[in-house]
Amino acid sequence: MIELSHVSKHFGEDTAVDDISLHVAKGKFCALVGSSGCGKSTTLRMINRLIEHSSGDIIIDGQAIGHYDPVKLRRRIGYAIQSTGLFPHWTVAHNIGLVPRLLKWPAADVKARVEELMRLLGLPTEEFAHKYPHQLSGGQAQRVGVARALAADPDILLMDEPFGALDPITREKLQDELAKLQARLHKTVVFVTHDMDEALKLADHLVVMREGRIVQQGSPLALLQTPADPFVESLLGGLERGLKQAALTRVKDHMSSLGQTLPAQSRIPGEFSLRQALSMMLRDHCDRLTVVDQHDMPIGELSLRKVVKEAQLDKVSHRDG
Amino acid sequence: MSQIDALPSPSSQYGHLNSVLICLSAAMLGASWLLGLVSVAPNRIVAGTSYGLVAAIGWPGALLVSLLFIAMGGLAIKPSRLHSYAQLCIVTLTLLLMPFGLMVAGHWLIDPTLPQARLGIGAAYWVVLFLLLLCLVEVRLRLGLSRLWTTLLLSSVGGAWLLCAALWLENLALVQEFQARDQQFYRAMLQHVVLVGIAVSVSIVVGLVLAMLMRRYQRLQRIAFAWLNFLQTIPSLALFGLLLAPLAWLAANVPVLAQLGVSGIGATPALMALIAYSLLPMVRNTYIALDEVDPETLDAAKAMGMRPYQRFWQVRFPLALPILLEGVRITAVQAIGLTAVAALIGAGGLGTFIFQGLGQAAMDMVLLGALPILVLALIVDASLGALADALRPGGHK
Repeated sequence: MIELSHVSKHFGEDTAVDDISLHVAKGKFCALVGSSGCGKSTTLRMINRLIEHSSGDIIIDGQAIGHYDPVKLRRRIGYAIQSTGLFPHWTVAHNIGLVPRLLKWPAADVKARVEELMRLLGLPTEEFAHKYPHQLSGGQAQRVGVARALAADPDILLMDEPFGALDPITREKLQDELAKLQARLHKTVVFVTHDMDEALKLADHLVVMREGRIVQQGSPLALLQTPADPFVESLLGGLERGLKQAALTRVKDHMSSLGQTLPAQSRIPGEFSLRQALSMMLRDHCDRLTVVDQHDMPIGELSLRKVVKEAQLDKVSHRDG
Repeated sequence: MSQIDALPSPSSQYGHLNSVLICLSAAMLGASWLLGLVSVAPNRIVAGTSYGLVAAIGWPGALLVSLLFIAMGGLAIKPSRLHSYAQLCIVTLTLLLMPFGLMVAGHWLIDPTLPQARLGIGAAYWVVLFLLLLCLVEVRLRLGLSRLWTTLLLSSVGGAWLLCAALWLENLALVQEFQARDQQFYRAMLQHVVLVGIAVSVSIVVGLVLAMLMRRYQRLQRIAFAWLNFLQTIPSLALFGLLLAPLAWLAANVPVLAQLGVSGIGATPALMALIAYSLLPMVRNTYIALDEVDPETLDAAKAMGMRPYQRFWQVRFPLALPILLEGVRITAVQAIGLTAVAALIGAGGLGTFIFQGLGQAAMDMVLLGALPILVLALIVDASLGALADALRPGGHK
C-alpha cells in the first residue's frame, strides 16, 4: 500500500510537485498521466527516494519512507524505466539477477529465479540468458527490464514510461502481457505514462496531473464519464471519448439473450469490447451481432440500439450515484 | 599502428584495382633497385661502401625479390579475397626472407680475413620494411583480420629475425654491437622496462585517485588540469634539468633521502619527470572515461538499490575501462619514448646506447638502442589496444 498526503517537491524556486495526495491500495494498478514536465516522473521517483520530497508524507506499508534505509527501500521496490537502463556489460541473466544478488540470495536460488522470470516473460533461457543488451530488440530489452524489476518478488512496482520507446505493435503486445501478469501477480503498481490509451487499458486508478498538481483522479470509467475540466477531456480524446469508454466495456456485460429472430451472421467473442463490436458493425454493415463463447457457441446477441442505449444508461446511473 | 588501425576500413571494395597496393609495390621495386641494399665497412668508425641489389645478393636474388614485388602489384589489379590472402603470404614471405638476404650479402661481400669488417643495413632495407608494413595494414583492412592476428604474425616474424641474427648474422654491424655489450644491453633493457613500469603504474594509481577527486570537487578539476597542462608544455630535457638542483640539495641535506637513492641525477629525477609527463594523458582519459558513462545506466543502478561503492566498482568502472585502458596505452607508449631521454641524466635504459652511439658517431650503436625502443612501443601499443577491444562492454566493438 502506498499513501501520499500533501506531498510537494521544490527545486530551488520551482515547484515540481505541488501538494498532491494519492492512495494506491495493495494490489492495485495506478497510472499517473499527463504531458511531459507535469511532475509525474518526479512523483514516482519520490516513492523510492531517488528524489527526496520537500514536504508532506509518503507512507509505504504504514511506515513513512524516511524511516527506511533508502538502499534497502529500493531493493524491495521493483523499478522499470523507458530506456530499460540495462547494464550493457552484463548478460541478460546477470542483469535480471541483480537485486537477488544484492540481497545475498544463494547462487542457486538466484539462478532458479532468473530462469523462472525469463519463462514468465517469454524469453527462452537457452536463447537469451547469455546475450548482451545490445543484441536484443527494443521489446526484448524491455521484457528483460520488467523481469529485472520483478526479480526479488517486490510487492511494489514502479514503472516510468516503460513502453514509451517501442513501436506501436510491440507496445500493445507488451501492454497486454503486463495486464495478464498483473492479473496473476497482483503487485501494487505505480505506472507513469503520457499515453492515455495505455493508462485506460491498464489502470484501476487513473491520476491526471498538470503543472505539478493532480487535476482529477478516479477509475478510468468515472473519468471518461465526467471529466473535471476541458484539459482532462482533451487528454481523454475529446470526441473520441465515447469510443474509449466503449473500449473499456465488455460485450458480455451488454448482450441480451438469444431472441426468436434468426441469429445475425457476424459473430463476436463475449470477451471483446463494445468498441470492437461497433467497429465490426460498421465493417459488416449490420446492426446486430451474435455473441459467442470461447468454443464459438452462440450465447447471446448484441444490437446497435442496445449498445447506444446502455452507454446512455451508464451515464444516468453514474449521475444518480 | 593503432592510429592507422582506426582508419575506416576500405573492405568490400573488390572489383576495381587496388591502387594503394600497386603504388606500394612499385615503390618497393624502385627502392630495392635504386637505393643501397647493404653497406660494408672495414671497422666500426669508418663510413662503409654501399652496395646495390645485384652486387649484394646476385642476379638470382635480385630476380626473386623483383618477382615478389611484381606479383604483389599484379594481384592488386583484380582484387579479390583470394588475391588478398596471396598478398598476405607474399608480405610474410618477404619479411621472412629479409635476414637471409643479409646472410647472402655478408657471405659474398665480407672478407673473412678482416675480423673487424661489418655489414650495415642499407636504405633500401629500411624503406622496403616500412612499405611492407603499410602493405600489411592495407591487406589486413581488406581481409578484416583482427588486431590480434597481425600482432601474432609480426611477433613470429620478429622471432625468426632474432633467431637468424643470433645464429648466422655475426657479420652484421648491429649484431656485432650487441655482442660487444650483451650484458650491458640486457641491463639497459631491464632498466628501461622497470622505469616505464614504475612510472606508468604510479600514474595509473595517482591518475585514478586524482580523477575520482576531480569528479567530487569541481574546483580541483580546473586547478589540476591547468597544472598538468603546464607540466606537459615543459620540454623534457628542461624538466630533467629543473629537477637536478632541488633534488641534489635535498640529497645533500636530508641524509635519509640520500640513503633511499635520491640524488640530482639518476633514476629518481628521471622517474619524477616521467610520472609528471604521464599524469596528464592518464588523468584526462580516466576523468573522461568515468564521466562519460551513461547517466541513465547509473540512475538505474541506484534505483535497483546498489550502494555507491557497488555502483562505482560494478557499473561505472567496468564501463569506463576500455577508454581508461586507451589512456594507459597512450601513457605507456609516451613513457617508453621519454625514458630514452632520461639516459642523459644517468637513469640508464636503452637511451644510453643512443647517446653513446651519437657521441662516438657509431650509427649501429644508435640503432641498438633505438630499435628495441621502437619494438617495445609497438608491443605495448598492440597488446593494450587488443586488451581494450576485448574489454568493451558485452565484447562488441
